[in-house]
Amino acid sequence: MAKKKFVVGCYDDEAVLFSAVKKIRTAGYKIKDVYTPFPVHGLDHALGMRETSIHTAGFIYGITGTTTALSCMSWILASDWPLNIGGKPHFALPAWIPITFELTVLFAAVGMVYTFCYLCQLAPFVKKHHFHPRATDDLFVMVIECTEKTNTEDLQAFVKNAGAVEVNVQVAEEGWWFGRYDKNEMPFEQKIVAA
Amino acid sequence: MASSIKEQFEIPSKLKTWAYALIGVGLLAFIVGFITKGRGTEEEQAQFIGIIMYNTIFWTLVCNAAMFFVCIHTLAWSGWQQVFRRIPEAISTLVPIFGSITLVLLLYIVFSGNHHIYHWLDTKAVEGDAILKGKSGFLNAKFFVIWTVLTLGLWSLLGWRMRKLSSEADQASMNNESGKTYVWKNTVTASLFIVWFGLTVGSTIHWFWLMSLDAHWYSTMYSWYNFASTFVSGISLITLWVIYLKNKGYLEYTNQEHLHDLGKYIFAFSIFWAYLWFAQYMLIWYSNQPEETIYFKHRVQGPYKGIFFLNLIINFVCPILILMKRSVKRNYTLMTFMAVLILFGHWIDFYLEVMGTISKEHVTLGWLDFGILSLFVGLMILFVAKALASKPLVAKYDPFLKESIVHHT
Amino acid sequence: MHLKYESQLREPLVNGKKTYHDVTEDIVRPIEAKPSKLWYIGFYIAVALLLFGIYSVYRDVTYGIGQWNLNKTVGWGWDITNFVWWVGIGHAGTLISAILLLFRQGWRTGVNRAAEAMTIFAVMCAGQFPIWHMGRVWMGFFVLPYPNTRGPLWVNFNSPLLWDVFAISTYFTVSLLFWYSGLLPDLATVRDRAKTKLRKYLYGVASFGWNGSTKHWQRHESLSLVLAGLSAPLVLSVHTIVSFDFATSVIPGWHTTIFPPYFVAGAIFSGFAMVQTLLLIVRKVFAMEDYITIGHIEAMNKVIVLTGSIVGCAYLTELFMAFYSQNKYEGYAFFYSRANFFSPYGWAYWGMMTCNVLSPQIFWFKKLRRNLFVTFFMSVIVNIGMWFERFVIIVTSIYRDYLPSSWTVYYSPSIWEIGFYVGTFGLFFTCFFLFAKYFPVIAIAEIKHVLKTSGESFKESVDNIEKQSAAEFAHEYAH
Repeated sequence: MAKKKFVVGCYDDEAVLFSAVKKIRTAGYKIKDVYTPFPVHGLDHALGMRETSIHTAGFIYGITGTTTALSCMSWILASDWPLNIGGKPHFALPAWIPITFELTVLFAAVGMVYTFCYLCQLAPFVKKHHFHPRATDDLFVMVIECTEKTNTEDLQAFVKNAGAVEVNVQVAEEGWWFGRYDKNEMPFEQKIVAA
Repeated sequence: MASSIKEQFEIPSKLKTWAYALIGVGLLAFIVGFITKGRGTEEEQAQFIGIIMYNTIFWTLVCNAAMFFVCIHTLAWSGWQQVFRRIPEAISTLVPIFGSITLVLLLYIVFSGNHHIYHWLDTKAVEGDAILKGKSGFLNAKFFVIWTVLTLGLWSLLGWRMRKLSSEADQASMNNESGKTYVWKNTVTASLFIVWFGLTVGSTIHWFWLMSLDAHWYSTMYSWYNFASTFVSGISLITLWVIYLKNKGYLEYTNQEHLHDLGKYIFAFSIFWAYLWFAQYMLIWYSNQPEETIYFKHRVQGPYKGIFFLNLIINFVCPILILMKRSVKRNYTLMTFMAVLILFGHWIDFYLEVMGTISKEHVTLGWLDFGILSLFVGLMILFVAKALASKPLVAKYDPFLKESIVHHT
Repeated sequence: MHLKYESQLREPLVNGKKTYHDVTEDIVRPIEAKPSKLWYIGFYIAVALLLFGIYSVYRDVTYGIGQWNLNKTVGWGWDITNFVWWVGIGHAGTLISAILLLFRQGWRTGVNRAAEAMTIFAVMCAGQFPIWHMGRVWMGFFVLPYPNTRGPLWVNFNSPLLWDVFAISTYFTVSLLFWYSGLLPDLATVRDRAKTKLRKYLYGVASFGWNGSTKHWQRHESLSLVLAGLSAPLVLSVHTIVSFDFATSVIPGWHTTIFPPYFVAGAIFSGFAMVQTLLLIVRKVFAMEDYITIGHIEAMNKVIVLTGSIVGCAYLTELFMAFYSQNKYEGYAFFYSRANFFSPYGWAYWGMMTCNVLSPQIFWFKKLRRNLFVTFFMSVIVNIGMWFERFVIIVTSIYRDYLPSSWTVYYSPSIWEIGFYVGTFGLFFTCFFLFAKYFPVIAIAEIKHVLKTSGESFKESVDNIEKQSAAEFAHEYAH
């Protein structure tokens, strides 16, 4: 974890945002991320992100659930402790379909939500640096990563020209840490100082 | 430019040739079938009639499902399907045609005196059978005929009315006011159709035509199950025509997005079908009452075992595994394959339902079944193509058309 | 970026020419303001009912469920009726959030959050009944399959009652995950606006550090879609399994194959009615008329008339099959015990028919669909009707069973059975009042997402597009 310097540009209209993203990317700048108050369709493609494969994970969790349910039930009722239940065969497949289905769904849903939280690093008490408080209200906040060579003045002007309503430079921690939202802190700074 | 858009379908001669060839094969099979079986023993005659019967009922219901598709989308104010709406409309023009064949056949069964198919027509047998006697308030020739005529008549009439209303959207551009009136008129007819659909396909007509083949057996689920079966087939048929026209360079507004949604429909309703199948089978299996299990006994354990499980594999396992992926639903070749597979699968399902009762001991699936199938496929191709050619392929003034053009899944 | 366009024929989903910021303001305001007097009154009534319920349950545990008026044949009375009723109500939430999402019904955005919350609370209420019905509730863990010292004697996986255990717990878990993952962005919105320290801290914890990153949104959308895809068959399976509780047995009136889809339709029917009841109150109390418009109410009334008719079709199918099967016992259950108005429970059957099948038919008329008073009245009627449906299925089928010597004349509940039921109302409304106060009752991010297609001001801006011909339009915008 380390701190980095970012140029932050805020937009208030999706249409302007899209053209700005295109301009800034063609100019060769690296957009770290765009923070939006709601999902903007097509923005992920505009930023050159690959498709998520979280649904594939869901499929794998699902079939894990299916096999767990079927293997447990068949072992229990057909092998470990066979009982005559209503004269049905010990391996009573039709009667096991409901539970098999439920476990498939349960495994897929729980697994996917955990995977989602893991990938996005979301959990209670997790804190990240927020570049603008209105990113969850009505602003589309574009964050551009600066390198040593970046001329922040030029870049700010460029972002402003592309239609931003607000531009500034921020030095911020990239990752997450355990923290509270009623306090302003960025813990890794101290570590760097101490080192 | 606008003038280069192929709005009007012209029937390719190759398609016509194919249609006539299939009809020819079908007629030949019919004649040969009539000579070899149609004049044989009562059992052979019943087999012959049964084969025509499940084909004609299947195709009538599938074509009517296309009109159901149109009506539910009208009622839901759905926009996405406008670009290809003329296709389900064209398919539904077959309802009166296949309906007449069904009607003639059913009338023949009722009045021919062969009671092998509908056991309850045999008045002597009914006298000696307390259960059938009790049912005769419903299962009697008069009511059967009246209800069948009424059903087919109203399906055709309301379908015709829907298609006629749709032509208005070819005439002149609509503003907000006239657009609303147009939607309103469509809504009224569509709701009438849906109500009648519920009273027939959702309940009575399957009891009459199909469930009464096994006059002692009953299942409350039966009609809904058959509805699911024919609806998913109807969507597959629509998909096939969409892909065909797209390949021929028509339907320029229709694209992968629309195909994707049709794919989702097939996927979802295949699962829905399997759900109803399972609910019916499981409940009968679980309680194990002889009067109910009799339906499944020879199908699961007897000669129909193979077809019984094939039915499940084609109609449930295949769609759920293959259509789950997004890229498949957007692929024209794979969607063609799946649509054909599912139509075939549900045709097999109807085979199992009808012939499984008429000919309990022997599986007769053979040249005659496929011959008669080819007759119906040929007729379907010919008449759908004609209906498509009779109107522009897109109702260009429909108020929801633009939504459909920019439709995005 | 794709063109955001929707025909002007459709009513706006958000009235009043809102901007993104207005949406945030309007929906978060009730959370930040002090609750009104009305809220306090409602909340205290709910808590009072809850306390009465707790006392009834306390008596159930100490005295035993012998204090209920169950008897020889009617071994399942109010308890299981209430269970099925609450589960059914829960289903509309999942239906709105999942199936309507898959069907791309734009109007769901205004109502889904509250409906999902309703699902969770309704399932919580439903769960109480089988749990306390166990009597010795401290043995409750016996329903779980785990290796034990009793043999090991496993649970019976062939029993529908065990399927219920799996179905209801899965349903609760998945609904909760679905609801909460959808809430994360909105909780983050509340957090970032919070003025007080405590609120900032609490919403900070609750929002899991959500920051609206594009990548997160992309995954979030994919997650929602898959969860919707899983919930849609799940909601069918849950009520299917509930219907199996009845249909797998061979009791006349219970053993009928149409039960699974018919229960599902009934569940959606009653659930939508409950959503109407709640939202009509919410939109009034929290001034949400711009977001829960008459159009939303009308759409839900359409669902009510549709599902009511499907249920009606199933009732008639069952009645017909009782005749058609020529099964004496089925015939007795349907024609003597139910459809006969003068039999002891005939009134319940006809009450059910009137409330569920006949009266919703008034929603064929647009005027009535858009009338708030009629809607509210009908939503209550439908829920009464659906309660009677379960009561009819259960009690009229078993009060005269195969053994006439054990027939009982009448079954009426004791005050503690009623108390338990009333208590779940307390639980439900307590939870709902708290939800409405501390959480955004409308999905903020989703409203913003549809604002530029369906918001009032944006609808007006497509005037020129509406005038274009299809060919021009396609030339310009088609992809």
